Amino acid sequence: MNDTKLVNVTINGVALQVPKGERIIESARRAGIDIPYFCYHPRLSMENGANCRMCLVEMAMPRTGPDGMVTLAKHPKPQTACSLPADEGMVVETETEATVKARKGVLEFLLINHPLDCPVCDRGGECPLQNNTLHYGAGASRYIEAKRRYPKAYPLSEHVVLDRERCIQCARCTRFTQDISGDAQLDFLKRGADTQIGTFNAEAFSSLFSGNTIEICPVGALTSRHYRFQARPWDLATQKSICTECSNGCSIKLDHRDGQVLRVNGRVNEAVNEEWTCDRGKFGLPVAISGERLTAPLLRDGDRFREVSWDVALGTVAEKLQRAGKQAAVLAGSKLANEDLYALQALFRGGLGSTRSGYRLGGQSSEARDVAAGLFGLNPMPTGIAGLEASPWTLVVGSDLAVEQPIVFLRLRKSWRFGKSKALEIIPASAPGKTHVGAFAASSVRYAEGGLAEALRRTCAALLAANPGLTASQEVLAWAGSAVQNDGGAARRMAEVLATGPGAMVVGERALAGPDWREALAALGHLAALTGSSGSVNRLVSGCNDRGADALGFVGGELGVAGMLAGAASGSVPALWIAGADPVTQYHDPQSVIASLERAPFLVVSDIKLTATARMADVVLPSCSVAERDGTFTNVEGRVQRFRQAFEPRGSASPDWLIAARLLQRLGKPSVWFGWQDLLAEMRAHVPAFGEVGFDALDKDGAMLVATQVVD
Amino acid sequence: MAELQVLLQHRNVPGIDGIDVYESHGGYAGLRAALGKERQAVIDEVKASGLRGRGGAGFPTWIKWNGLPKSGPAQHYLLCNADEGEPGTFKDRELLLKLPHMVVEGMAIAAYATRSANGFVYVRGEFVESATQLRRAIDQAHRRGYLGRNILGHSDFCFDLHIHTGAGSYECGEETALMSSLMGERGQPRLKPPHGPLPVVSGVWGSPTLINNVETYACVPHILTHGGAWYAAMGTQRSPGTKIFSVSGHVARPGNYEIELGTPLTELIDLAGGVVGGALKAVIPGGSSVPILPAEKCAGVTLDYEGCQAAGTMLGSGGFMVFNDKTDIVALMRRTAQFYAHESCGKCTPCREGTRWMSRVLDRITAGAGRMEDIDLLLSICDQIDGRSYCPLGDAASWPIRAGIRNFRHEFEHWVRHGSSPIPGFVPPVRSHGPSPVPGRQE
Repeated sequence: MNDTKLVNVTINGVALQVPKGERIIESARRAGIDIPYFCYHPRLSMENGANCRMCLVEMAMPRTGPDGMVTLAKHPKPQTACSLPADEGMVVETETEATVKARKGVLEFLLINHPLDCPVCDRGGECPLQNNTLHYGAGASRYIEAKRRYPKAYPLSEHVVLDRERCIQCARCTRFTQDISGDAQLDFLKRGADTQIGTFNAEAFSSLFSGNTIEICPVGALTSRHYRFQARPWDLATQKSICTECSNGCSIKLDHRDGQVLRVNGRVNEAVNEEWTCDRGKFGLPVAISGERLTAPLLRDGDRFREVSWDVALGTVAEKLQRAGKQAAVLAGSKLANEDLYALQALFRGGLGSTRSGYRLGGQSSEARDVAAGLFGLNPMPTGIAGLEASPWTLVVGSDLAVEQPIVFLRLRKSWRFGKSKALEIIPASAPGKTHVGAFAASSVRYAEGGLAEALRRTCAALLAANPGLTASQEVLAWAGSAVQNDGGAARRMAEVLATGPGAMVVGERALAGPDWREALAALGHLAALTGSSGSVNRLVSGCNDRGADALGFVGGELGVAGMLAGAASGSVPALWIAGADPVTQYHDPQSVIASLERAPFLVVSDIKLTATARMADVVLPSCSVAERDGTFTNVEGRVQRFRQAFEPRGSASPDWLIAARLLQRLGKPSVWFGWQDLLAEMRAHVPAFGEVGFDALDKDGAMLVATQVVD
Repeated sequence: MAELQVLLQHRNVPGIDGIDVYESHGGYAGLRAALGKERQAVIDEVKASGLRGRGGAGFPTWIKWNGLPKSGPAQHYLLCNADEGEPGTFKDRELLLKLPHMVVEGMAIAAYATRSANGFVYVRGEFVESATQLRRAIDQAHRRGYLGRNILGHSDFCFDLHIHTGAGSYECGEETALMSSLMGERGQPRLKPPHGPLPVVSGVWGSPTLINNVETYACVPHILTHGGAWYAAMGTQRSPGTKIFSVSGHVARPGNYEIELGTPLTELIDLAGGVVGGALKAVIPGGSSVPILPAEKCAGVTLDYEGCQAAGTMLGSGGFMVFNDKTDIVALMRRTAQFYAHESCGKCTPCREGTRWMSRVLDRITAGAGRMEDIDLLLSICDQIDGRSYCPLGDAASWPIRAGIRNFRHEFEHWVRHGSSPIPGFVPPVRSHGPSPVPGRQE
């Protein structure tokens, strides 16, 4: 509200100064005056809002008469506070007899066709309709006619179930798909009292963000197929957490009961996910951590496993690791916390003298990472997620962004929606016909497999043609000059936007994973230099804690993942620890992994489930999921965020850092870690990237890593 | 007083719907007169005429025209509301059928005055013949240089006129819903002051937009031809000019009658040949949404905006419905309530839920299952809709029911007490709509 004019308004006799145009419902909220509502949502557009009429208030404006006298002119009709823009001298009353009556009336109308099946409704207990009825409703209904009936449990998709009887037509879900996710899959069908939510042609509601509509539904009309009838909200405990299903690091709430996560809801973090989640996280996380879990250490006994005590298991592992010494190796997975990774490094480097720690950063080589850092700076995401809103244009390179980076996508779309930035994309021809970004991009350029560098060259050439005043070296001019324009003007349209000044680029992980990554990076470097955007080329990673692993020296390393597997096969890695990773199912070449691990002299796997990789281990150690422990993750933009333990670990499962600590003790090098805080304090002191990660910031939006050279 | 035909003067001249006959009867003289003036002078002429919007609200036309930006880039749109859906109103239909050039000419004048380069006539979907007539008129006007580029040689005036037909929704006659529909969106209303900008500031596609009724535009050529003062001399001081009333119901000669504003209500009934089939029982003077006037309150009422208001009703769109004493008012109100329940767009709670509720209660009363408290319940539902809905459709749905009960409460009580009509021999039609079918088509 920097240059927004302040105006004087009076709400219930309280004089306030608020920004001109602020919706009165927000002004009132800040003044501690509660105005009830259903359809209002500050992140959704007003054009299709103001329809529930619950927030009606009385309003008067000063009017100067012909005699110069200023009088208050009361508006003849009550006005919706959610859409009423504050203006100088506005006087609002929210608790007059007329407003109380108006609310009672609206509630009575909403309830006449509402089924009142609250006892079996998922929303019961956390339902705005129930709550507002409790506070503002009448004691009885005068409605004796038949209620609207529809078949229950209309399946909108594999995740979302619709109950049309409960729907109050608030248009929150329809506006979400139109305004936020942009797929516009939900809309109203029919009209009047027959108005109902639906998808075009009854197609599946396949939005990547469909779960958000369940959360913003003010009644139980949209419910989760997975959570339906599973719990009463008051029987659930809630814990603050961070989503592990991709690198974006959404702030979430884990709703749990009896050691089970029953649902995931979004938690407000304006710097990252605002309040949204994607379906992969919302519905995927509970699945990822439920099911058959490891509860005790397992020791190989021929072709079977035998449950053993931690004492026996750790004794075996310690002995093998000690014997392997600096030839021992550790391969870490993307869902390990910063604390685990640090403790593993302490064990292997400090305890064993081994620098053989590995981590697979998507398909991208650590060399590509380093070359990119040389070109564009050490921080792989200098613009940050929220920073995309300030970029006049954002060029997405080689990524179907909504799928790979859902929350980054939402931010880009938001920026476009408010007219702050233009979106551009250069994407593989194999991407879907219309990508989510393509739906609003000013230009979409496609390239065939291996053609990214050429596509970038064409773009540079078009840019030089569009803006002859650009200075470029003879070398670049010659390179760009030989480009052939054959994309039907897409590059030219893109160049028109690029020529307007510096912007940001968002480079997908797979863009630099191909054999042509050197040429692609060089071309990207030229384009960034020509547009003056070299400082805002964002190379996005996709694993939950990829950035943490990178900062803690797991990427690259002495052997690398391939070398590690080869070493296991050849015997040059006498002891291998795979922590929280399942290369047998996740590596691009599972057969080679299996062949290598079959020959490994000693394999220990720590994980939450008995994965395909764990089945090949000599010792399996049960570890904790995100819900059963405390710790921190580092998201795609280098934001370190705290997650909290929701419930007890399964059986005797233990977080990986604690396993490492116990092994250090057995190696005669005891640590002083009693909890995640001790590890983080040590990281702050010893790992330069974590130098500014403070505990206070962790409890707010999270704390940013410092961009430093990682010392392997 | 008798009829005073300004707009309808030549309606029965053979071929008046064609451009030659229209021109020979003074057609397009108004446009020529307008183009001889400065743009502001055209607006001032309309101001002098005192013309008020004929769509129902009676808002001074010149204020709208004057509200569009007069300098700067002019991506202005000119809309004509021909979505004539108010039950009892059929004046725009006849204007478009018989005098389409008068509407085209009026719009061209308005386009000149407001610097609009594109116009749309939003024609009610059922008006296929009217739209065809309009199509022909636009093509003819285009060929004669009354539309298109550099109209009548004026270097700074280009105006194209397009037709958009509706898809059968009463709500799309509400000006902001009309704009939504025109833009291809759901036919639902948009925010208005104080919540959002006026159409003249930001209307269709975010551009300044002028929207007037068919009859309003049809008045404009006459005002420009004969002068605003000439027009203002007709009618009353605050409601100048003539107005077309669509007279229907129990009269001998139903049809469109153009009279000076301020004409006594009873005179219009006489003009239409008087009440038939019985004595006068009630009149709905301005379309189904305005309050009903019982016969005893009709005497002395004048048909102008102020006169109707003083009588507790409204001039509205001029849908003048006459009812004789064989009319069952409860059945009439039930049919009216059904209409609004069917036409509610469903956007806002009071209208969506309240109109259906009223319709159901009236269904029950006319099925013989009414309760005495239902009458006050209906009044209470009216109160809960009126003034609280998103757009005026909710108000329009509640006014007639409220007036029906206030003026004819005894008939409602008769239905409740006896389970039958107070009119001997009257049997109400069976329910025309039941519970919504599941799933499937709307009945």
